[in-house]
Amino acid sequence: MTKILKTPASWPTILLGRAGAADPTDLDAAVAAGAFDGLRRTIRDLGGAATVAMIAASKLRGRGGGGFPAAEKWQAALAVDAPRRYVVANGYGADPASRTDRTLLERDPYAVIEGTAIAAYAVGATESFIAVRAEDTAIVGRLAEAIGAATDAGFLGPDAHGSGQEISVAVRPVQGAYMLGEETVLLKALEGKRGQPEQRPPHPTERGLFDMPTVVHNVQTLAAVPWIIREGPDAFTAIGSSRAPGTILVSLRTPAGDGVAEVPTGTPLRDIVKLGGKLPAGRAIKAILVGGPSGGMLPPDLLDTAYDFASLREAGAHVGSGSVVVVGDGTDIVELIGVLTRFCSTEACGKTIPCRIGTRRLAELVGRREAGRSRPTDAGDAADLSADIVASALCDHERLATLPLMSGMRYFGSEFDDSRRRQPARTEATHG
Amino acid sequence: MSLIPGLGLAKGMALTLRRFFEPKVTIMYPEERLDVTPKFRGRLQLLYDEWGTLKCETCFQCAQACPIECIDMGGMDTRGRYHVHWGAPETYGERREESALRRSGRPVPDPAYRPFGPIDLGALDRILEEHDHDPADLLPILEETQEAYGYLPVAALKRISHVTGAGYAMIYGTASYYGHLRFEPATAEDQARAVADHRPPEARYLAALGSALDGDGRSAKAARA
Repeated sequence: MTKILKTPASWPTILLGRAGAADPTDLDAAVAAGAFDGLRRTIRDLGGAATVAMIAASKLRGRGGGGFPAAEKWQAALAVDAPRRYVVANGYGADPASRTDRTLLERDPYAVIEGTAIAAYAVGATESFIAVRAEDTAIVGRLAEAIGAATDAGFLGPDAHGSGQEISVAVRPVQGAYMLGEETVLLKALEGKRGQPEQRPPHPTERGLFDMPTVVHNVQTLAAVPWIIREGPDAFTAIGSSRAPGTILVSLRTPAGDGVAEVPTGTPLRDIVKLGGKLPAGRAIKAILVGGPSGGMLPPDLLDTAYDFASLREAGAHVGSGSVVVVGDGTDIVELIGVLTRFCSTEACGKTIPCRIGTRRLAELVGRREAGRSRPTDAGDAADLSADIVASALCDHERLATLPLMSGMRYFGSEFDDSRRRQPARTEATHG
Repeated sequence: MSLIPGLGLAKGMALTLRRFFEPKVTIMYPEERLDVTPKFRGRLQLLYDEWGTLKCETCFQCAQACPIECIDMGGMDTRGRYHVHWGAPETYGERREESALRRSGRPVPDPAYRPFGPIDLGALDRILEEHDHDPADLLPILEETQEAYGYLPVAALKRISHVTGAGYAMIYGTASYYGHLRFEPATAEDQARAVADHRPPEARYLAALGSALDGDGRSAKAARA
C-alpha cells in the first residue's frame, strides 16, 4: 500500500479520515467510524433536493482536475427528463505515477461507495459504476467485497436504506489507454466503444452513458460528499481556499521521500514539498512538475504558488492527476520535457487532427532541441502550434498536452538555449 | 516594372539560393520510413457475410470516390461475363501479377490476415452467453475472449459481430484502441509487459520521472530508446 505522508496537525482530514483502519473492507468498523451516516441522513432527513442544495452551499468542486462545481452537474442531470440516469465514479487514475485515487480506494472504499450512493439518490440514478484500473486487481477485489458487504447490510440494493429507491453500485475495471481518465472517453469505454472524446455540449449530464444523463465525478469528489452531509457545508467551506474549499489528495515524489498526502486547497507548494522530508545534503530543487504527464514545469521561485485550480493554471500548471514531482538539480529539463511531450503525443486518441498531428510535431520539435539541431523558427512555431492545438481542443488532454513544453519554454528558456549550444548544429546532408 | 532592371530576378534567385542551403525535410520513402503512430487505423479489409461470401459487390464506388486514386479494383461482372476494373490500366496490370500485400513491401504476410481460418468457437459462445449477447458489454467480452484464445482471432471478432449485431468495424475500432488487446498470439515481449503492469509509454514516463528524482538526466535518454 502507498505510504500516507504525515501532515501538520492543523490540517483537517476529510478524505483519509478512516485511512488508518486495520481492514478497510470491515463494514462494522467503518460504520462505527461514521460510514453510511451521511447516506442515512440524506435518505431519512434531507431528501434529494435538500442534498443538492447542501452540496451547492459547500461549493464542492470536481477533483478530477477541471474543478467544475459538483452541484451544478447534479442540477443539470436532474433538469433533463429521462427514463434513467447514471452516476459514474472515475477512479481510473490515468497518470501511472500518481497514486491519489488508488490510495483513497484501497484505504477507504466505503467513502467512495457512500458518496456514489448519495449522488445516485440525489439525482435518481438506479445504476452507478466505479471505474478503476484493471491492473490493480487488489483494489478491484477490495471494492467488490466492500460493495457486497454494503449491499448485504441493506445500504445499497433494490430498497437502499429503506428509501424505496434502487441504488446499485458496480465496479468496472478498465485498462489500456491513458485517455480513459477523460470523462467522455471513460463513458465510451463503459459502453464498449473506442475511447474517443465527444463534442461538448451536450455535456454528459445531459447525454452521457447510453445517451442518458450521467454525473461523472472523480472518486475524491464523491468521497467528500458524505463528510459534507455529516458535518455541514459551513464546516467544509471553512477549509482551504474560498473559491474551491475542502481538501485534495496529492501524490508527492521528492528525492527525500514519496507518498500521498491530504492537503487543504490553496496550500502553498512549498508546504506540500516539505511533507516529503528534508532534501539530502547538497541537493537542490531544479523544478517542480505539477499535474502529471501533461503538467507544468514550475521553477523553484514559484514555490509559493497556492495549490488550487485557478492559481496553478495562472502559473502554467494544473492540478491534473494530483501528482507533484520534485525534479532534482542534475536533470536535463529539455529531455524530461521531451519524454512528457512524447507521452502526450503517443497517448492522444487521434480524434481531432490538431491534437493527433500537432502534438507529434511538438514532439519532433523537442527532439530537435535535444539533439541540438533546432531551427531558428522552432520557438515561434511551437508557440503558434500550441495555441492552435489548445484553441481547437475537444477534450482536456488536448487542451493540456502542450503544457510541459510551454511551461518549460516559459520558465527554463535558458536550458533550451544551453542544449543548443552543447552540441553545435550539424549541417544536415543535403539529400536528407 | 521595377526601377532597377533585374531586381526581380535577383530577388528570385536569392530565395532559390536560400532555400538551397536549408535542411531538406523530404525523406527517401521506401528506404527510410517515419514511425507510424500506433493508433493508425490503416488496415483495409473486405468483409465476409455469415455464409462466407464476400460482402463487397464490386460496385466500384470506393475506387470512384477515392480522391487520390489509391484504391483500384477489379473483378468479374455479376453474370460472370467480363473482367471489369477501375483504376489506371498499368497499375491494374501490375497488380494482377503480384499481390497487393507483396507490393506494399512487407516481407511476410500480415499475420492478422491469417486467422481467417476456423477456430473452435465454443469458448466464445459461452462468453457471449454469459454477457447476454449484449454489445454494451463489448469490452469485457473482448477481454475474456483474449483470455480464452490468447489473442483476438479475426474469426472470433466476426462471430461477436454476427451474434451481438454490433458492426465489425465498430468492434475492430474498439479492439484496436485499447493497449492491452492484441490480434496476434502474445510474444515474449508481451508477456514481460503483462508482468510489468505498465504499457510501454507509461513505463518510459515512469523511468524518466525516476531519473528526474535522482537528478541523473542520463537515464531519461535511456528511457526514450
